[in-house]
Amino acid sequence: MSSSVFAMKMKLPCNHCLFSFHLYHKLPSIVPESCLLILVGLLLGGIIFGAEEKSPPVMNSDVFFLYLLPPIVLDAGYFMPTRLFFENFGTIFWYAVVGTLWNAIGIGISLYGICQISAFGLTDITLLQNLLFGSLISAVDPVAVLAVFENIHVNEQLYILVFGESLLNDAITVVLYNLFKSFCQMRTIKVIDIFAGIANFFIVGIGGVLIGILLGFVAAFTTRFTHKIRVIEPLFVFLYSYLSYITAEMFHLSGIMAITACAMTMNKYVEENVSQKSYTTIKYFMKMLSSVSETLIFIFMGVSTVGKNHEWNWAFVSFTLLFCLIWRALGVFVLTQIINVFRTIPLTFKDQFIIAYGGLRGAICFSLVFLLPPAVFPRKKLFITAVIVVIFFTVFIQGITIRPLVEFLDVKRSNKKQPAVSEEIYNRFFDHVKTGIEDVCGHWGHNFWRDKFKKFDNKYLRRLLIRENQPKSSIVSLYKKLEIKHAIEMAESGMISKVPSSVSLSDYHEGKIKPLSPAEMENMREILTKNLYQIRHRTMSYNRHSLAADAGEKQAKEILIRRRHSLRESLRKTNSLSRERPAAANTKRFLSLPKNTKLPEKLRVRNKTSSRVGDSSDSELDAATTVLNLRPRAGKILRDQRLRPQRPLPEFRVEWKNEVDGSQDGRGEQQEPSTLPQPSIGFRQPLLTRPRFGTLSREDLTADHGPARPMPPPRLVRQASQGDRTVGNKPWTY
Amino acid sequence: MRELADRTGFTSEQIEHLHRRFKQLSQDQLTIRKENFDSIPDLEFNPIRGKIVHAFFDKRNLRQESDGLADEINFEDFLTIMSYFRPIEMNMDEEQLDRFRKEKLKFLFHMYDSDHDGKITLQEYRNVVEELLSGNPHLEKESARSIADGAMMEAASICVGQMGPDQVYEGITFEDFLKMWQGIDIETKMHVRFLNVDTIAHCY
Repeated sequence: MSSSVFAMKMKLPCNHCLFSFHLYHKLPSIVPESCLLILVGLLLGGIIFGAEEKSPPVMNSDVFFLYLLPPIVLDAGYFMPTRLFFENFGTIFWYAVVGTLWNAIGIGISLYGICQISAFGLTDITLLQNLLFGSLISAVDPVAVLAVFENIHVNEQLYILVFGESLLNDAITVVLYNLFKSFCQMRTIKVIDIFAGIANFFIVGIGGVLIGILLGFVAAFTTRFTHKIRVIEPLFVFLYSYLSYITAEMFHLSGIMAITACAMTMNKYVEENVSQKSYTTIKYFMKMLSSVSETLIFIFMGVSTVGKNHEWNWAFVSFTLLFCLIWRALGVFVLTQIINVFRTIPLTFKDQFIIAYGGLRGAICFSLVFLLPPAVFPRKKLFITAVIVVIFFTVFIQGITIRPLVEFLDVKRSNKKQPAVSEEIYNRFFDHVKTGIEDVCGHWGHNFWRDKFKKFDNKYLRRLLIRENQPKSSIVSLYKKLEIKHAIEMAESGMISKVPSSVSLSDYHEGKIKPLSPAEMENMREILTKNLYQIRHRTMSYNRHSLAADAGEKQAKEILIRRRHSLRESLRKTNSLSRERPAAANTKRFLSLPKNTKLPEKLRVRNKTSSRVGDSSDSELDAATTVLNLRPRAGKILRDQRLRPQRPLPEFRVEWKNEVDGSQDGRGEQQEPSTLPQPSIGFRQPLLTRPRFGTLSREDLTADHGPARPMPPPRLVRQASQGDRTVGNKPWTY
Repeated sequence: MRELADRTGFTSEQIEHLHRRFKQLSQDQLTIRKENFDSIPDLEFNPIRGKIVHAFFDKRNLRQESDGLADEINFEDFLTIMSYFRPIEMNMDEEQLDRFRKEKLKFLFHMYDSDHDGKITLQEYRNVVEELLSGNPHLEKESARSIADGAMMEAASICVGQMGPDQVYEGITFEDFLKMWQGIDIETKMHVRFLNVDTIAHCY
């Protein structure tokens, strides 16, 4: 009876709290969510304690380490910006390993010094015990860091330093903790044991990473063959990552590093093998799991705080807190001076301050302290109290004040810009330039290694692990993504009347550019940013809640899209034939997509040569993925729908007319057969039957690879009268 | 040596390193020609190899008044080009930083603008994208072209904003180029660690 009451009490307030917390928007900007959750936990703990007069159930360390921690780390590792991570890897590693060592030993020794002062009544705590305590309290906690940094949006560099450190220091923490614990239980300690400890660190860290990578590869390999059974793809991702964690823990290696390595590996390869839907599922499920875990962790922390397992000692507790802060600050400062020599972009004082301030402690040290064997540690309750005080301080005080500090210090924030192809081009170009210069210099820099890895990757790994391996260019994939996004949005939002459809890229003779109306560009941009529906977005989304925005609207619009598509499709089918005739009659010819039947062949041909984007559950959709196939893809979308048209015809005619009017005049006349509305009106440019691509002469069409291309080469531009209209260059595609 | 150091901003150590490298590249001659760059094995795989080599000989980069291409460059010129890739120093003030940044961006701009007319036209941009994507055998030229076009449109909208329907966008000028790179810390990214120059990478 009491347990069910307990469960009920837990659930309802939690849900309500979270819900109302997010409704009241201002609150998360002031108080990080973790604080509120701890408060809720405290409240609950208090209620239970008051009701039952005994300590509420304490968070079981097993539960924490086996069930609650892995999802969070998995989520973090999967969405880690790998490039940035590896660029800063040296610094991160330096902070994680040396920094944690510095902190642990520093705190341990200074606390021991304090304990020696008999006035405080702490003399029975030995050096080893202090060292152990130091090691478990010095670990920066990824959960807490995530929770707090999520909202303040510092620049990625800073974020990755703190967060990377919190992930990597698990190896050190595990080693130190186990080392000191066993030392505490041993009679004598020889020097050889210390060296064994050091060696153990390498084994733990590297072993964990290797296990993670190995299982990541296995997962990628498995997903290579799952195209017949799409439904269980997400399962593999979660299974293998959890497996890596458990395996590492089983061998007493670092589970966190294993799961991080596994997630990063999987991310790279699995993403290309799984279908769009699986990808979305994985993403959402991961976020959900990690949110739930985080919530539970903080609440449990709050609940566990209330109770009888405390021993308060002013000196110990306050000095612990003090030393934590001092040693952290000192450590960051000293280490940065050293590492700045090796960095090309030195870290400024502001950066250092934020790094030091961002060293939050959380649930890991909390659980570790509960795991201490009480037989060896008679003062365990004292440790627990001290740990709780430190955690509360860092999470509450530091968590709340970091945001105003960041603003006060004017730390560089991240600017979330919309991905743009031109940027991608510049970045790529720039990388190559750098690599080239490094080659000329004979310098084996970062770029050199990255290049080498990429070559190795392309040659062996990708062939092995990815199903349809196409050499991937980030520019092209980004471009395709944006184009498809755009096209779908065009279809769904219908006819934007102010579209000057004719705007196209320059008359290539002159090499000039005729721009789109800027209002439309703005419109498109907005549309593009909103529309994430079918597009796989390789987001660096380490924000726990960043998914919420994309999800909703698109789903609702999907049905609308499909209906319109199907309508257009049916219209197009009826009209395509009749369109041919007037087209032939005119001197100006249309570029039309003649028969639907031709498409499948073309698509299949394309399938071999294009990389997959899109939902392969509609397997035909796979085909139309290159830029060139945007129109056929649209056709495919249409074709796949079985819905009957619901809209009356005239609407299309009107819509179409709008577009025509908006366009340059010349076109209008060509649309004389406008009584046959173009079904694919929605697409501003990849229109199946529009003459937008200028007018081609028939011969040119056949000479070309076939009229299926939405973008015939500019040499086919004809009409002199519309000098500014070109063939095929899609001005507003990105 | 001293004045070289002052002019280009390198330390004497770095200059020595680079001199060694220069000698290796030039096979102990006093000047380097384009052909010497062929001896760098890794450069072969770089898709924009042509542009990089070209940049070394571009007179605009060499800070000479004239235009066009030099046939050969001496060590001083080599250093001048390399100085574009110096990392920033902590003690630079705002104005120096700004100048530094502009120089680096100008270097990049010259790589895009192959006909030296001061603006990146559509054709030049297309050229760049095609070269960039040339490593990918499955990509047709049209894709590259449309990508370039799309990017150009973006550039137009960023740089010029509101354009009337009849306005024509000539090309990306240097100011526009600056605008596009505004958000990005080029001065921190565009650097090579010159101190660690080893003559490990041999040219054959």
